[in-house]
Amino acid sequence: MGDYMFGKFSRFGKRHAANLAGNNSKNGNSNNNNDSTNSKNKNNINSNNINNNNNNNTINKKDAGDNQKGFYKNKPVNNLMLSNSLEKNISLFEDIFSGDETLIIRRFQNRYLTSVKCCALYFHGMVNNEIINENIIQPLLSSNLAEGIDTNNLIDELQYKVIICGNVKTSQDFTAIVNSLIGGDTILLLESCSKALIISSKGLEKRSITEPESAKVIRGPREGFTESIITNISLVRRIINNADLKLKFKEIGERTHTKTCICYIEGLALESVLNELEQRLDKIKIDGILDSGYIQELIKDAPFSLFETVGASERPDVIAAKLLEGRVALFVDGSPFVLTVPYVIAESAQANEDYYNNFIFASMNRVFRTVGTILATSIPSLFLALTTFHHELLPTQLLLSLSTARKDVPLPSVLSLIIMLTIFDILREAGTRMPSSIGETINIVGTLVLGEAAVQAKLVSAPVIIVTAITGILTLMNKNLILSTVVLRFLFLIASSILGIYGFTFAFILLIIHLMSIRSFGVPYMLDITSIKDHNAQDTWIRAPWWTMTLRPKIIGMKNRIRQSSGRPWRK
Amino acid sequence: MKCCKKILVLITVLLNIIPLNGCWNYREIDQLAIVAGIAIDKGINEKFSITVEIVEITSGGTAQSETTSKIITFEGKTIFDTSRHVISVSGKKLYWGHAKIAIISQEIATQGVVQVLDWFSRDAETRADIKIVISKEHSAKDILATKGLTEKVTSFEINEILNSHQSLSDTPKVEVWMFNNRLVAKGISPIAPAIDLKQINGESVPHITGCAIFDGDRLIGFLDNNDTKSMLFILNEIKGGVIIAESCTENEKTTASCEIFRNKTKVKPVINNGNIEMDINIETDVAIDEISSSENIINVDTVKKLEASAEKILKDRIESVIAKVQSDFGVDAFGFGAKLYENKPKIWNLVADSWKDKFKDLKVNVNVKVNIINSAMLAKPLEVND
Repeated sequence: MGDYMFGKFSRFGKRHAANLAGNNSKNGNSNNNNDSTNSKNKNNINSNNINNNNNNNTINKKDAGDNQKGFYKNKPVNNLMLSNSLEKNISLFEDIFSGDETLIIRRFQNRYLTSVKCCALYFHGMVNNEIINENIIQPLLSSNLAEGIDTNNLIDELQYKVIICGNVKTSQDFTAIVNSLIGGDTILLLESCSKALIISSKGLEKRSITEPESAKVIRGPREGFTESIITNISLVRRIINNADLKLKFKEIGERTHTKTCICYIEGLALESVLNELEQRLDKIKIDGILDSGYIQELIKDAPFSLFETVGASERPDVIAAKLLEGRVALFVDGSPFVLTVPYVIAESAQANEDYYNNFIFASMNRVFRTVGTILATSIPSLFLALTTFHHELLPTQLLLSLSTARKDVPLPSVLSLIIMLTIFDILREAGTRMPSSIGETINIVGTLVLGEAAVQAKLVSAPVIIVTAITGILTLMNKNLILSTVVLRFLFLIASSILGIYGFTFAFILLIIHLMSIRSFGVPYMLDITSIKDHNAQDTWIRAPWWTMTLRPKIIGMKNRIRQSSGRPWRK
Repeated sequence: MKCCKKILVLITVLLNIIPLNGCWNYREIDQLAIVAGIAIDKGINEKFSITVEIVEITSGGTAQSETTSKIITFEGKTIFDTSRHVISVSGKKLYWGHAKIAIISQEIATQGVVQVLDWFSRDAETRADIKIVISKEHSAKDILATKGLTEKVTSFEINEILNSHQSLSDTPKVEVWMFNNRLVAKGISPIAPAIDLKQINGESVPHITGCAIFDGDRLIGFLDNNDTKSMLFILNEIKGGVIIAESCTENEKTTASCEIFRNKTKVKPVINNGNIEMDINIETDVAIDEISSSENIINVDTVKKLEASAEKILKDRIESVIAKVQSDFGVDAFGFGAKLYENKPKIWNLVADSWKDKFKDLKVNVNVKVNIINSAMLAKPLEVND
C-alpha cells in the first residue's frame, strides 16, 4: 500500500516537473522572439512575463518561511540580549517599539539608596495604574532599601521583599519579556543588571458578564461568556470544581498571538480527540484570529458541508455540560463563543433549558425543533411539487382554492417562491444587524408591503405568502441550523421544480447520505439519530428523564460511561 | 482523482434520474381546465357526443372569488379524441385528475359501456375512482346542464349526493374500478346508480334514484329505491338508513322508524337434495328513532313484536326483489354465482356455463334478525296528558 501511494506521488511529481520544463522551454522560445522585436509579439511577451511571475509565486509559496515577502515571521528578537547598562537596555526597547507612543518609560530612584536606578516600562491603557503606582513605584521609591537589603543580588531582593504584587518573575529571555510587555505586564529594569522583572499588572477594560443575546433562557443560569478568556475560564471553573479540569494554553495567530485554551476533564475526554485537536490547532498558520469562528472553520472536518462539525456556545453551563459528557472545549481570547468537539447533529436540537425543565415538556419542545427544521427545509418544495406536478394529491376543494388564488398571477410558482423566500432572507439579514428602532420599520415594510401589497397587486399568490411565512418562522426554531436550512431550502426547491416529489425525495436522500458520511473528530455526525435503544436515544429526539440518563453518550463518553450509579436509589 | 470519481458518479446518478421518473411535468395550477364531470351521449352525426363540465373560477380579488362551471359539448368518434378537441375552444388541456362523475346515457349503456369505460381505465390522465351514474333522462347532457341545489358545480353536487347516500343506503356507489371488477368477475353482473331530474322549486335538479342492472356491459333495466335498498342488504353494503317496523295493538297501528347502526349479511350457498340453494343471513342492529303514536311500545314484549314485524317487512322485501330480478332481468346482480365460486368452486365449475338459467330458478332462503338496541334519547314515548 505504502509503495503504491509512493508511486502515485512520484508520478505526480514527474508530471509536475515535466510541466515546469515545458514552461521553461516556452519561455525560452518567447525570449528568442523577443530579440526580433515585433509589435505583434508584444502581447505574447506580456503573457510570458506573467507566466514567469506565476512560476516565481509558486516557488515563493513553497518556501514561504524563508522569504521576506512570504509569510510573516516575528522580528528576530531572540538574538537580542539584555546588557548590564540600564540606558542600553532602555534604548533596546525604544528601538523595538519605535513609533509606538503608548509605551511609557518611567525612570526613578530609591530615596534612601540612590544607587538603585530603576526603570518601569508599560503600555498606557493596558495596565492597572493603581498597581503600578501603589505596588511597584511607591515601595521602590519610599522603602528604605539601605537597610536589610542585599545589594549584590538586588533583583531577587526586590522581588522578595519590596514589590507588592501577586505575580512577579525574573527573566532574561528577551522574547518572553517583550511578549509580556505587550500583554499588559510591567517590565522593571535595574541599573547594572542583565535581568528584568516581569510584574503582572494587566488592567484591561472588559465587558461585564451579561446574559447572551444569542440564547436567552427562561429557566437556567443567565451568565454568558465575555471576550476575556480568563473570565470565561473562571466561569467554567466555578461550575466544575474539580482538579481533573485541565486547561492548556496555546497561542494561535502569528501576528495577533491570540490566546486559546484547550479545556477538558481528565478521565472523561478521549485522548484521540484531544491529540487530534492539538494537531489541527498546531497546523493553523494564520496571521490573526479575531473570533473563535476562524478556528471553527479552520479545524472543521467536512469543510464544504453546510453543517457545522464544531460546536459553539456562549453559555458556561452548556460548556460545562459538554465537558462532563467527555467533550473537549476550546476557549479563544476575544470571543465569547467557546468551541466544543466532537460535535454531532443531535446537539443542534439541544437547548440548555431542555435539561432544566420537565422532561416531557423538554422532549416536546425538542421534537418541535427537529420537526420544525425538517419542515422548514421541505415545506416550500413540497408545496411546489403538489401544486405544479401532483395535482391529484390535493383534495379537490384545496385545488380549487389554490387555483383561485393563482389566477392572473404572472410569475411561475417556482419563481415566486424563490423570490419570496429570498426576500424573507434579505429581511432577516437586514434585521439582524439593525438597531432595534430601525428593525421595527423593516417589520412593517416586510409584512405590509410584501405580504398585503404583493398579493393585491397579483405579483404572487396568497398561498405562496403563507408558505413563505410558515417556512420563515419554522427556520427560526432551531438557531444552530438556520444557515443550513436556508441553503437546503433552495436546493430542495430547485430539485422539486425539476422532478416534483421524486426530485425532492432524491435531494432528501442525498442530504441523508451526506450527513451519514460526515464525522466530527472521528465521531459519526449522525450518532444515535437512528437509534431507538434506551441509552442511545436518551438525548437525541427526546430528552429522557434525568434518573434514566445513567450513562454518558456513546463513543464521546466512552472512557467512563457511568454518569450516575443509579437513577433513584431512594426508591426501593 | 478521488474527487473526479465522485463527481462522475454524481453526474451519472443525476442523469439517470431524469429518464427514470414517471409521466408528469410542470404545470401551473391555473393552467388546468379542471374537469368536474363528463356526460356521454350518442351523437347525432358522430358516434359520441361528449359533454364535459369544467370548473370555472371567477376571481374578483382574493375574497370574492366564486367557483362556477361551464359545460362544453363536442361530437367525435372516440371519447379520447373528442375530449382533446375541447382544447380548440377552451385553450387549456383538460385535466381529469379531479373528475368525479361520468354520466352515461341510457342509449349508450344499452349498447354497452365497455366502449366508454376502456378509456377511463386505460388513460393515465383519468383516474379509476370516477363514479359512474346511468342517466334515466333522455340525454346525459341534460343532467349536467342543470344547476345543483347546494353546489355551484353540478358534478360535485352529484358526487356529494352519492357520498352522503350511505345514510340512506338506497343506491350503490360505483366507481370505474368497481364496475370493471364486477364486469370481469364470474357469477356477478355489474350495477350502477341511476340518475334523473326532479322538479324542486320549479327547477330541475339532479336526483339519484335506484340503480341500473347490467347484463354483461349492456344496460337491461332499472330498480327503484326500495328494491335497490333490499338488494344492498344482500350485497352487505348497508352502511346506514332507516327501516320501518309496525306494531299493531288493539287501538291503533304504531309505526316506528329504526335507524340502522350495523348490518351484517352472510350469503352462503348450500346443496339441498342435489339442488343449489342460497342461505342469506342478515343481522341488523337498529335503534328506534321515531314513534308515530304516544302508545308505550317500549317494553320487552312490544320491542319483540316490533323486531318481528321489522324482520318480516325486510324479509318480504328482499324476497320480492330477488324474485323480481330473477323473473324480469335474469342476471345475477346479487353475486350469488360469485359466492358459489368462492365457497364451492367444484360445483361452480359444473354450473358455470348454465348459471344464467340456474339463477332464474335459484331457491333463496332469507333469514333476517333485527335487534333493537335502544330508543335513542327518550326512554318513553311522549305521553299526552290533559
